[in-house]
Amino acid sequence: MAKEEFLPSTKSVIAVPNALISMRNIWKTYQMGIEELHALQGVTFEVQKGEYLAIIGPSGSGKSTLMNLIGCLDTPSKGQYWINGNLVSAMTDDELAQIRNKEIGFVFQTFNLLARATALHNVELPLIYAGIGSSNRQERAKATLASVELGDRILHRPNELSGGQRQRVAIARALVNNPSILLADEPTGALDTKTSFEIMALFEKLHADGNTIILVTHEHDIAKRAHRVITIRDGEIEKDERIR
Amino acid sequence: MNFAETLKLALSAIWAHKLRSFLTLLGMIIGVTAFMVVLSLLQGFNTYVDEKIAGIGSNSFTVRRFSFEDFKDTDTAAAAQRRNKDLTFDEMEFIRERAQLIDKSGAKANPNTRSVERNGEVLQDVTIDGAEPVIGEIEKLDIAEGRYFSDSENNNSMRVAFIGSEIAKKLFPFGSAIGEEFTIQGIPYRVIGVQVEKGTIFGQPQDVFVQLPIKTYGANFGGLTRSRGLYFVATSKSDELFKDAVEEARTLIRIKRKLAFGEKDNFGILTPDAIAGLRDSILGPTFIVILAVPAIALLVGAIVIMNIMLVAVTERTKEIGIRKSLGARQSDILKQFLLESATLSAIGGIIGLVLAELLGFIISAFLLKTVIPWYAAVISIGVSAFVGALAGLFPAWKAARLDPIEALRAE
Repeated sequence: MAKEEFLPSTKSVIAVPNALISMRNIWKTYQMGIEELHALQGVTFEVQKGEYLAIIGPSGSGKSTLMNLIGCLDTPSKGQYWINGNLVSAMTDDELAQIRNKEIGFVFQTFNLLARATALHNVELPLIYAGIGSSNRQERAKATLASVELGDRILHRPNELSGGQRQRVAIARALVNNPSILLADEPTGALDTKTSFEIMALFEKLHADGNTIILVTHEHDIAKRAHRVITIRDGEIEKDERIR
Repeated sequence: MNFAETLKLALSAIWAHKLRSFLTLLGMIIGVTAFMVVLSLLQGFNTYVDEKIAGIGSNSFTVRRFSFEDFKDTDTAAAAQRRNKDLTFDEMEFIRERAQLIDKSGAKANPNTRSVERNGEVLQDVTIDGAEPVIGEIEKLDIAEGRYFSDSENNNSMRVAFIGSEIAKKLFPFGSAIGEEFTIQGIPYRVIGVQVEKGTIFGQPQDVFVQLPIKTYGANFGGLTRSRGLYFVATSKSDELFKDAVEEARTLIRIKRKLAFGEKDNFGILTPDAIAGLRDSILGPTFIVILAVPAIALLVGAIVIMNIMLVAVTERTKEIGIRKSLGARQSDILKQFLLESATLSAIGGIIGLVLAELLGFIISAFLLKTVIPWYAAVISIGVSAFVGALAGLFPAWKAARLDPIEALRAE
């Protein structure tokens, strides 16, 4: 592939997209020995601010790869990825770390909280890496925990909380630095049905508050709660439909 | 992420594995403790020698039958044994009459050990020697009570004694020793002075001695030759004249003994420089060897720390992934693990220092006064932190370079 495709051409700089997220002809290729595996093959889509999007697809469809790209944990082999006016596809590791800190709020299937830290400290983490001072940080973390109804649990450690509470700590952590998007990877995968409903209700509330949410899942029931569903199959977008 | 933040993180990570951290640090603790103890012993020994030298005065020297060089090897020792002669009172007088640069000079006789007795109370192995009255001034003796000898007491071989505080305490437990009598080999002596208590140095009690006027010593113990041979203590008129005063003494004895030009001295002169030089020539090589042992312990300590940090990075791969997903840069992760390693190691250094300080108290109580120089304390903590950072470099670099996706997948 040609080198200039990694760099913003004069044309594309002029064409900074208006959309919050803009994926243009994204390819991701893995070298497996001598074989090349194309996990994504020319994916193109845009996400506007305030959307509630679900990305669905069976395992091996490339949806995890796409999620890693959206979450700026990885860069595409080919194509342009813009988030909030930043060209992510040309960034270095440290720039990616800053974008993750500023623009992305992750919610993981297994919560990924630090086991030794209190709920408060877990929520403080993104603010620590944003370089925000101690008192301001605690205040914001406490307020965010209160907004997910965990104001009375701030000094509990993850093993002292239920699954639903842990996921709400994780959501608070994702929200605390006011990211552009909330990126949730199977957020109800480790929860029972009742708790799943509670968490999904929380996502709807957050969406109503104006947050942009991208939900990656393989469950149609969960995907149906979103307003737009992108279906991925074999590294390509099969369907992109607005359901609400 | 700022320094205080990172330090807090490091401390909590160390605290989370208390036992493991402690075991990891054993090597470092032993290394630092050994280093500090050795250093403080050497420092203490040097101070002791210097004080000894200062005690006889830095501008004083002694003239003896043999010099240090005479004991270089068995052949020279045997040759010196044949050639060198005992010093005599005539030679002392000869020096006194002619010396221009020597301030004071006096003769002493080498000590013997004898039993000392009073009312059935017997003290074994007491050091007994003889000295001219002027020695009291030359050696600046600290007198607790009473006085030193007078010339007339010496000239008349009077049986009077200047004694160490331990002798006074043991023989005269009730009341003052001054004016009281004790016996050596059945001959009575009257106490005229007691020295201030000096304690123990290198397990050698400094307060168990009896000093007699030199003529009394010669008269009652069988002549001032051989094991009771004479030696002279002299001081120069000023520090600047010291070397010349030493040369003057040498020349005068050579004249008195009619040594031809080019003939070797058949006596020896000991200066504080020579004593310090001897000390350094013995301790120099020993010093390096003694310091090599703690250095090896430190190296082993560093390897253990590197190993445990590699384990920590593997164990905490998930944590690293989480931190990276939340916006930690490579440098943040690097700093976190480097500081953890350095802090861990510095804690080892501090524990080692405290242990060394405690051991120092014990050594001071039983052997000799040890001193941990403050710069050594600072250096040892600094060095252990530096060694820790060095040992943590590779593990921290490994952690910083982890791919966030891979790291998040870890269990």
